[in-house]
Amino acid sequence: MAYLSLTGLSKQFGQTIAVEHFNLEIERGELVSFLGPSGCGKTTTLRMIAGFEYPTTGQIVLDGVDITHLPPNRRHIGMVFQSYALFPNLTVAENIAFGLKIARRPLEEIRKTVQEMLDLIHLSDYGNRYPYQLSGGQQQRVALARALAIHPRVLLLDEPLSALDAKIRVELREEIRRIQQTLGITAVYVTHDQEEALSLSDRVVVMNAGHIEQAGTPFEVYNYPKTRFVASFIGQLNLLPVQVSDPARGVVLFKNTPIQVELTAPLAGVSEATLALRPEELNLGEVPGRNHLRGKVLDVMFLGAIVRVRVDLQGHEALADLFNERQMSLPRVGEEVTLNFPPHACWIIHE
Amino acid sequence: MSQGPSIPLRQRLLSWFFLFLGALYFFLPLIATLEFSLRAKKGVLSFLAYERVLRDPKFVQAFTFSLEMALLTVIVGVILVVPTAYWIRLRLPQLRPIVEFITLIPFVVPAIVLVFGLIRVFSRPPLLLTNSETGTQILLVAGYVVLVLPYLYRAVDTGLQALDIRTLTEAAQSLGADWWTIITRIIFPNLRSAILSGAFLTITIVMGELTMASFLVGLRAFGPYMSQVGQNRAYEGAALAVISFMLTWAFTTLFQFVGRRALGGDQTFVAR
Ligand SMILES: Nc1ncnc2c1ncn2[C@@H]1O[C@H](COP(=O)(O)OP(=O)(O)OP(=O)(O)O)[C@@H](O)[C@H]1O
Ligand SMILES: [Mg+2]
Repeated sequence: MAYLSLTGLSKQFGQTIAVEHFNLEIERGELVSFLGPSGCGKTTTLRMIAGFEYPTTGQIVLDGVDITHLPPNRRHIGMVFQSYALFPNLTVAENIAFGLKIARRPLEEIRKTVQEMLDLIHLSDYGNRYPYQLSGGQQQRVALARALAIHPRVLLLDEPLSALDAKIRVELREEIRRIQQTLGITAVYVTHDQEEALSLSDRVVVMNAGHIEQAGTPFEVYNYPKTRFVASFIGQLNLLPVQVSDPARGVVLFKNTPIQVELTAPLAGVSEATLALRPEELNLGEVPGRNHLRGKVLDVMFLGAIVRVRVDLQGHEALADLFNERQMSLPRVGEEVTLNFPPHACWIIHE
Repeated sequence: MSQGPSIPLRQRLLSWFFLFLGALYFFLPLIATLEFSLRAKKGVLSFLAYERVLRDPKFVQAFTFSLEMALLTVIVGVILVVPTAYWIRLRLPQLRPIVEFITLIPFVVPAIVLVFGLIRVFSRPPLLLTNSETGTQILLVAGYVVLVLPYLYRAVDTGLQALDIRTLTEAAQSLGADWWTIITRIIFPNLRSAILSGAFLTITIVMGELTMASFLVGLRAFGPYMSQVGQNRAYEGAALAVISFMLTWAFTTLFQFVGRRALGGDQTFVAR
């Protein structure tokens, strides 16, 4: 049995259904992130795990014990908030010691743990400062240390990096991942930033309108999205309307251009479908054995490592992400280009 | 070099003029009282009136009595108001308008009505309190708590507003804290300056309060004592007024100083 399992969880606020049919098993030491658009129920689910909300239906079992109705202060689950929520009247060291003092740990142990935690977050000399004397990133690290000091059974993080600026965000997310792996903590991480979710999770749970659309490794949800929502929510996606011409061999037509598709599901009985294709799978030029589409360049965006070309394919726009190389010649706006992609790069979404 | 928007000279003179006028309105009566209080000895300026006031044992008695009442009011009021205001902000926000209205009662119901009500209810069994000294003091403190509610509640509520109490509460809960711990270790310490300013107002109000004190404890309290001296002995009355004014100022300065210095935690509000 999994370490933390959420079974048939749902939560209703009056008429609003915030979460429904939520089933998830989380293994010990795993970092799972909840990813989804605003209002999809990420925070609500996290708060039910923490005990700040009680589910309308369903069950939460942690380490074999049903904790569905246990009050939050008896769950031993750590929480990191978007707004840091450090106690303003306590110093950094006192903040970190707070949970240990409540648990009445011996003074010597508290002192030692606080120092360990300060070292862990690289703020060894900041113990005597007050929260308002720290930067946002430092405050959030202290909040992390405070949550970790009690050796929580699960660590919950609700958009912990949203209030920070881009550079600190990347730095700190790597640090969170490092600490989580070092300590072997089981963690649930809520975010609406897909890059964040993909880069630091063992598993990503993509949510939409209160339910799970797909749960899988970052590689799975990105490369093998199970629903149209997941496909379009994560990463950029080109969607082209196609007619099925040879279901048996996997040939479809886009405006009379035949496209070979690698068959993963049978196409029999389907006439209209949508072809999905990631921008990074598209390249310029003709390559034997690949599919080809001709179009006109609408604009070219230079993004550094990537050059994003927007192409008009007979009335349908598509994006092509090309790797930047120093000797490459950038396509010009208005130029006619040929895009190529291999059959295994695209897939069919049924209507 | 830019020096910010420069205000025309005429406008500046005008604002100084009004400031001067305001100061005059405020200080003139004070100076007049001070001057009058120094004239107890005919023809010369002297501190005779002050000597008489301070030598009167009743002055010290009344003063300490009222100070005691004031401190009790602060303690009872704070214990009552802080958890209430906290809980309403945290869990019962829909009740806030009602509670705010209740705290305004002293502005709607005059103190005289309040004190008669108290005396009527508590002057017969089963709640007979008016026949003993302790009983009347309990009534007095209770009445004062109601009287200072508008100030105390508002001060505390404003203090709470500056804190993200919901998240702080949840953070404390996730660290294992129960309600007692949250209120004593997080809420109270972070409300220090709010509580202090509420307490200061409370003390000032109670020290000068006349109506309730007259009916419940009479001349034992500072308010009635001051009023009696003022009626019977003009110079001593003026001296007393000056003394109580000085004390008020001393209190203000003291609290500002103490509030800033010793109670470090609150600096966060300034920093935000
Ligand atoms: N206490 C509440 N009372 C009423 N409705 C609520 C409450 N909390 C959440 N909701 C509703 O439940 C739904 C899910 O909210 P939730 O906060 O879980 O979303 P979220 O995925 O965390 O969104 P965001 O990315 O914006 O934080 C929303 O429609 C929200 O309005
Ligand atoms: Mg949220």
